[in-house]
Amino acid sequence: MNKVVIANLNGNAYQLEEVGYHALRAYLDRAETQLRENPDRVEILSDLEQAIGEKCDQFLGAHKNVVTSAEIERILAEMGPVHDASSSGAAPEAELGAEAKASAAEPETAPKRLYQIREGAMMSGVCNGFAAYFGIDVTLVRVIFVVLAFLTYGLWALAYLVMMIVIPHANTTEERAAARGLPFNAQELIDQVKKKYADFSDSRDARRQVHKHRHERRHQMHAASEQALAVPGYTAHVVTGLLSPIFGLVSAALFVVFIFAFISMASTGAVLGWSLPTGIPLWAGLLILIAVYALITGPIKAARRATYAYGVRPHAWLAAIDGLFWLAFTMLFVWLAYLYVPVVHDLIEKFVSMWSNGSIWNKVWFSRFGILV
Amino acid sequence: MSLHEKFSSIRKGLLEFLVLKIIAADKVYVAEMLGRLADTEFATQEGTLYPLLSKLRREGLLDYDWKESDAGPPRKYYTLTAHGKAQLEELNGYWKEINRTIGQLGKQP
Repeated sequence: MNKVVIANLNGNAYQLEEVGYHALRAYLDRAETQLRENPDRVEILSDLEQAIGEKCDQFLGAHKNVVTSAEIERILAEMGPVHDASSSGAAPEAELGAEAKASAAEPETAPKRLYQIREGAMMSGVCNGFAAYFGIDVTLVRVIFVVLAFLTYGLWALAYLVMMIVIPHANTTEERAAARGLPFNAQELIDQVKKKYADFSDSRDARRQVHKHRHERRHQMHAASEQALAVPGYTAHVVTGLLSPIFGLVSAALFVVFIFAFISMASTGAVLGWSLPTGIPLWAGLLILIAVYALITGPIKAARRATYAYGVRPHAWLAAIDGLFWLAFTMLFVWLAYLYVPVVHDLIEKFVSMWSNGSIWNKVWFSRFGILV
Repeated sequence: MSLHEKFSSIRKGLLEFLVLKIIAADKVYVAEMLGRLADTEFATQEGTLYPLLSKLRREGLLDYDWKESDAGPPRKYYTLTAHGKAQLEELNGYWKEINRTIGQLGKQP
C-alpha cells in the first residue's frame, strides 16, 4: 500500500504514487533548470506536462485510477532528458536513440555555490546565502556582518553592497540545493529513490523503513515540496501582495529602533535612559541587544517567509519588491527622525563625529577587556 | 566506438532538417512525429523534440494551431511557414550537395 499524491499536469489532476510523484517533480525541476534561459520555457514545460499526462492516461482505466511509481519511471524514461535546443553548442552529448540513453546518465556531483537566497532574506539574501553555504544560522551571520561593518569602519558595508550586486540569486530548486551543497538532480534522485525503494520493499520492516526514508527524502526535498504546495489562487496573491509590504514596514521599523538602540548603547552606554549595570562590558551589552532584536524579529520573519511560500514560483519579484520597500521605509524613518526628533538628530551627529575620529573603535575595543574608557 | 555513437552529432544536427521534412509532408502533432522517427536511426524523445520545436517556431520556420482530438485534450498541429518552406528547400539542396561530395571523394580522378 502506497500513499497517493494528486498532481496537476497542465490543468488535469492525476493521482500518482508518492515515490513516483517525487521522481516526476525532480524531472520537471531539472527540465526547468535546463530551460531557464529559454524564452518559451513556460510553454515547453506545459507541453511536457501535457505529454506526461497523456502517457499517464495510457496506464489508467475504469478500474485503475492511480499511476504507479514504476509506470512513472517508464514514462520519464520515454520522455528522455530535456535540454535546451537553442543552446546547442553547450548541450551535452546527443540523447538520440536508445543506446545513447544509457550513457546520458553521467554522474553529476553537487557543487556548493555561493548564492543569494531571497526567501526569508532581510535585504537581498547575501547573509542567507552565506548561512546556507557554511551551514550555520543566518542570525549568526548577520551578527558577524554587523560586527565586521563596525570593525572595518563601514568598509564591510561597502563590500556587502558589492556582494549584493555580484553574487547571483538562487532562483530554481536546483540552485537552492547547490547553495546548500545538496545533491539535487533528477537522475540521481530517481536512482536513489529506485534503489532504496527496491531495497525496502523486500525487507521485513519495510514499512517502517520506507517511512523513515520518506522522512529523510522529505527533508531533502524541502525546497521542492514548498513549491509543490504553492498552488495559489488569485486571492492568495492579492493577500500576500498586500501583506508583504506590511511585514516589510514592521521589520523596517524594528530595524530602525534596533540601530538607534545600538548606536545609543555604543556611544552613551545607555538605551532610553537605561544604562548597563556596572561590570557588564559594552560589547556584551551590544551582543545582548542583537540577541533581543533577533528574538523579536523572529516571528515576523517567519510570517514574511510564509507569504513567500505562495509567491516564490510565479512572483519571484515579490521578494525583490519587498526588499526595496524595506529599504525605502528604513531610509524614510531615519530621515524623518533625523529631521524632527532632536535626540535622534544629536545621536546621529554625535555618532558621525565619533565615527570620523575613531573613538567608537577605542570604546568597543577597550570595553572588550572590561576597561571603562 | 560504435557507428551509432560516431554519427551521433550528425544525427543530432540533421534532426531539425528531418522535422521540417516531416511537417512539410503533412500537418502533424508531436506524438506522430515521434512515431515517424521511432523506427529510424533518428529516434528521439519528447524531452528533445519540444525544445527544438519551440526554437524553430521562434525562428519563424513553423507554426501550430490547436485541434480538438477525439481522445483527450486538444493537440498542437504543426505547419511550415513560408520561411520554413524556403529553408527546407535550401536544406534539401545543401544535403544533395553533401551527398554528391561524399560520393565523389575518394574516387580516382
